[in-house]
Amino acid sequence: MSFPKDHSQKPYKLLEHTADIGIRVKSKNLKGVFKDAASAMFDILAEKQKRKILAQKTLSLKQQAANKEELLLAWLNELLSLSAVKGLVFHSFTIKRIDENNLEAMVKGEDSRGYEIKTEIKAATFNGLMLKKSGSGYTAEVVFDV
Amino acid sequence: MSELTQLKLEKIDEYRFRIPRSYKPGMRVPGIIYTDEKLLKDIRQDKALEQVANVAFLPGIVGASLAMPDIHWGYGFCIGGVAATDIAEGGVISPGGVGYDINCGVRLLKTGLQYEQIKDKIEDLVYALFSDVPSGVGSKGDIRVSAKEEREILVKGAKWAVEKGFGIREDLECTEEYGAIEGADPKAVSDRAYERGKAQSGTLGSGNHFLEIQVIDQLYDSRLSDSFGLELGQITVMIHSGSRGLGYQICDEYVRSMVRCLEKYKINLPDRQLACAPVKSPEGESYLAAMKCAANYAWANRQCLMHLTRKAFERVLSQPWEKLGMYLVYDVAHNIAKIEKHNVGGQEKKLCVHRKGATRAVPAGHAALPHMYKETGQPVIIPGDMGRNSYLLVGTEKSSETFFSTCHGAGRLKSRTAATRSIDANALLKDLKSKGIIVKASGRDTLVEEAPQVYKDVNEVVDVVHNAGISKRVCRMRPLGVIKG
Repeated sequence: MSFPKDHSQKPYKLLEHTADIGIRVKSKNLKGVFKDAASAMFDILAEKQKRKILAQKTLSLKQQAANKEELLLAWLNELLSLSAVKGLVFHSFTIKRIDENNLEAMVKGEDSRGYEIKTEIKAATFNGLMLKKSGSGYTAEVVFDV
Repeated sequence: MSELTQLKLEKIDEYRFRIPRSYKPGMRVPGIIYTDEKLLKDIRQDKALEQVANVAFLPGIVGASLAMPDIHWGYGFCIGGVAATDIAEGGVISPGGVGYDINCGVRLLKTGLQYEQIKDKIEDLVYALFSDVPSGVGSKGDIRVSAKEEREILVKGAKWAVEKGFGIREDLECTEEYGAIEGADPKAVSDRAYERGKAQSGTLGSGNHFLEIQVIDQLYDSRLSDSFGLELGQITVMIHSGSRGLGYQICDEYVRSMVRCLEKYKINLPDRQLACAPVKSPEGESYLAAMKCAANYAWANRQCLMHLTRKAFERVLSQPWEKLGMYLVYDVAHNIAKIEKHNVGGQEKKLCVHRKGATRAVPAGHAALPHMYKETGQPVIIPGDMGRNSYLLVGTEKSSETFFSTCHGAGRLKSRTAATRSIDANALLKDLKSKGIIVKASGRDTLVEEAPQVYKDVNEVVDVVHNAGISKRVCRMRPLGVIKG
């Protein structure tokens, strides 16, 4: 995956926050929102440096939560945690199954040594967390502690 | 820029402003902001004051929801906030009131060196520190520990590092809680959190974390500076770091589990990030035990970082660190919750004091102080930004009104996105160099996001806490060399 420099090309919008970083993503369905939020998070976190693709790893992931907002948070924080533990930057997200409380996904990551790590994201937070139906799709807002 | 918060504050005096309980139904106590009119204009630019009011909803909160002059918009709690809850009255503990970087904190080392002696060596020292101290996002350290040792670190804290030869016993005397808070239980820490913290001992981290070579450029109290062995022109070193991935994982897991406690304990809060549980509940006790593990890990980490700093100085200056006089002045936590006894309305109460971007500041004679600081009061270390100043203060009797707490730094003024838009990294480095400051950073983004202009002026912040009487200025440092994670 390449990360375009121009923010207007990105599938998310950065929200102003004094200390932290917020994002807004819009998609026609829940799968799209979860996928775009994950892409946005790793776009903020890392930038591909080396042309050569280093070791790739595919992981399957299951998450459960009390509602769809908490599910989004659980998904993002699990990805952050796995990224730190496995030394991977995730760049491809396939949501296989999703409802209000459950998610099953396959995620592909590459050895983080092929990336410049730009911003350490400690966690996605509940602060200002929003995921709702809007018009013909869904909108989500997440604030990351950085 | 127009003021975002039109909230009507009551002015108590020049340095204290009140958010009345009537502002929001559900506030159990008022909010009190330590600031002056000038800083207040900046504080009003974001949602920090709203967050002070939200914290006042916490069950068992006593006195007021407090904010220091470095207050800014955080997540849940504002950064620069203090909240104390009465344990006997169902007082709660909130992981969000501590933050993800549990026991993020700062330590100050003095040296026996004068600026004039080593001014030509500063660049060599900066490069040596940059190469010898692992920094940056997710950095892994040379100090590797086994799984068994990691559990030991979580209980023993900085003492573990000293036993491994990374320091001396006197370092522990000069560390808050003597470098290990009692009650840490590794069983309260998940396997994932262990894994996330495993490779990061002895690493600086990223973002606002730093290692700085400084010179003392102003003395405010000669009796106190003499007591600390500090004088004008003396070289000091400041280290700012926390519990890294271990703390982030612990906080994330407990915030999410405590959201479920809100229903269980019938707690009504305006923001889920304030999720909490009574201190005296299985969930509260478990979080406290896990939080203490991360706190101890952070103290061990800063001890290791100091060891690497001493070794780098030895290498460049070809003298043992003892001869260079590199002794620890003090180490403080500024993201932590602690069980402390305080006088509330004439009665001694056991409180859970959350300091989220705030520093403990106990006065002379306090039982928590080691013998060498019994007469001075607790050293309080206030880092500023990389272009201006940092401070050493001491705790005062007057800070009983803030549960013996004061500010923790300059406080952010501008967002990271605003910084990236408006600041050029090369121009910034040139400007700092012209002021005699050499900076090495792991990434250009970090450098720009941490530029001096994105912070409040620490001199103004310290003026407020000094003039309000909740801590006292001892001396001021200015940066010479900065390593940014």
